[in-house]
Amino acid sequence: MTLEIQNLHVRTEDREILHGVDLTVKKGETHALMGPNGSGKSTLANTLMGNPVYEVTEGRVLLNGEDLTEADPDERAKAGLFMAFQYPATIPGVSVANFLRMAVNARREEPIKVKEFGSVLKENMDLLRISRDFTSRYLNEGFSGGEKKRAEILQLAMLQPDFAVLDETDSGLDIDALRIVADGVNAMRGDERGFLIITHYTRILSYVRPDFVHIMLDGRIVREGGAELADELEQKGYEWVREEVAAGAG
Amino acid sequence: MPADFVDERRKAALEAFEAEPVPTWRRSGFWTTSLRGLDLEALEPKRYDSFDSDLVHDHLGDEEHAALIVQRGASVVHTHVADERLIVMPLERAVEEHPDLVEPYFGRRLPHDEGKFPAGTAAFWTGGVFIHVPKNERIEKPIQVVWLIDEPGTAQWAHTLAVVGEHAECKIREYFLAPDLEGQALHSGAFELYALPGAQVDLAHYQDWGPGDVHDLSVRRVEVQRDARVKWVPIHLGGRLTKQRLDIITAEQGSDMRHTGLYFTERDEHLDLFTSDKHEAGHTTGDTVWKGVLTGDSRASYEGLIHIVPKAPEVDTYLQTHQMLLSPKAKGDAIPSLIVEVDNVKASHGGTVGELDPEQIFYMMTRGIPRAEAVRVLVEGYFEEVVQRLEDPGLEELVRRRVAEKLKGAEQQVREFIGERAEAA
Repeated sequence: MTLEIQNLHVRTEDREILHGVDLTVKKGETHALMGPNGSGKSTLANTLMGNPVYEVTEGRVLLNGEDLTEADPDERAKAGLFMAFQYPATIPGVSVANFLRMAVNARREEPIKVKEFGSVLKENMDLLRISRDFTSRYLNEGFSGGEKKRAEILQLAMLQPDFAVLDETDSGLDIDALRIVADGVNAMRGDERGFLIITHYTRILSYVRPDFVHIMLDGRIVREGGAELADELEQKGYEWVREEVAAGAG
Repeated sequence: MPADFVDERRKAALEAFEAEPVPTWRRSGFWTTSLRGLDLEALEPKRYDSFDSDLVHDHLGDEEHAALIVQRGASVVHTHVADERLIVMPLERAVEEHPDLVEPYFGRRLPHDEGKFPAGTAAFWTGGVFIHVPKNERIEKPIQVVWLIDEPGTAQWAHTLAVVGEHAECKIREYFLAPDLEGQALHSGAFELYALPGAQVDLAHYQDWGPGDVHDLSVRRVEVQRDARVKWVPIHLGGRLTKQRLDIITAEQGSDMRHTGLYFTERDEHLDLFTSDKHEAGHTTGDTVWKGVLTGDSRASYEGLIHIVPKAPEVDTYLQTHQMLLSPKAKGDAIPSLIVEVDNVKASHGGTVGELDPEQIFYMMTRGIPRAEAVRVLVEGYFEEVVQRLEDPGLEELVRRRVAEKLKGAEQQVREFIGERAEAA
């Protein structure tokens, strides 16, 4: 069971952003995708979920062997893919609880029983230390940055996808909030699930230790390794990667 | 024996009606509401003595009422008063049986000469509705009024007079209903409500004239007296052409109004609404919120005015208007405006005209929610603020159901529109 990204080329209206990305995440693995601003990380995440703003011009996205390159976002979700957004949209008039119930039911034949939904929700809210009144608020309306990120992880916990992409979930969080989010992610790691953690910083990786690290630069993956690559990057910075790549190319 | 005060008003109104040409309304050379398509000569009041209750039942459900009165065409065909404290009867009858209760208020806020159609209504109204809630009484169940047009060629000249006594409390709902008519019809309506000192009125208008060629030209006016409070929720869910003026007047100190409206236009419907929040006394408060959605080739114009007269200080009021376009061919216009003739008041307004955000739809779809459902949920969410203000589960359910049906009808069109927007982004 794998998420395979093969030779992915992606463009927006004015330019190509990804120039052939290959990356494979197996169930049970946690991968970190790191890179400076503008390197194409968020483009990759959005393309994986089928954001219509991005156009795939070459390459494929496969989930458990099924080609999802042209699939609508809701089909990808039903196939087992999830993304925690860097900047989640506000959904006025729809409470967190109602939204979660809708999302949970979208993946089921029979709607979830009220009691079962209530107890799973409570369990996950406890895990993420979210207060009771949170679920009656409209999703993301008036939420602080930290609350938005926690709402994303709460959705992840409720939906239990096969593969989860976390798009800069760590950015903008203080240490306490980061720890809560990291604990939530760690609780969900296991043989049944693969993670792709997209981040600018190495900070979250000291809480959620990755099995593999990929470094992206200008729309390409330029370095790959284990968790130690993140440590090296922490010491030397992105300029080091850029110089190495330039030297290699020359 | 019709009462003199009614007769005199009819006579004066008939003169005004005959003197006035059929109007065309223009605003700043950009917005025009024209009755060119209406063949007024071909329409006539139609009289009945019974009605088919299915359409009414579909909308009102099985909810118990304090009173129910139904006018079909030109005739009141059903009156049922369950709560004996109330007077609810045809206005024609009330004029004769309760002239002392009717005369002080009849037409007080509705001049007979403010335009062709208000004059026509004042001259030609038949049947009509009179509601009187005695002072200090609290009426829990709704007072329901139904205006029914179910035959093409109908001209319905309508008049409702409601007087809510001092410190009385009640809920009044007016429904405007028609099946899919083959042919033209007109509803020219006058509504006046007087909330006497300390009264609390929960008022709603629900209009769904269906997909037929029904023209609605109405004036509705609400006067809120000292320390009284009126919550008014007008809902517009259908009508080939609607031109309405809705005024709510906080007339004496301490009066308060909440005015929250909703419209959904589709196909080639034309909606032209003017509302005013007029403060005639100091220490009055108001809050107006209107939200609309446009699909198809429809046109919807909403103009909302806050008017604070001289000698009305310490007013606190706010007006918001929002429009959401779901079709490239629909045209909307939302204009908040302000006339303040005194210092020392708080009055502000704001407005938005926009579209569904493709990022919101993408976000919901990544949670497994199909596009059409995402659009429905977003539009419902947008309307939710207004729908919740109804505080009436039956009516809330009806509005949600009709909005969902309309969205379903527009599904393909909305999908294309959203797709185009996403690619253009």
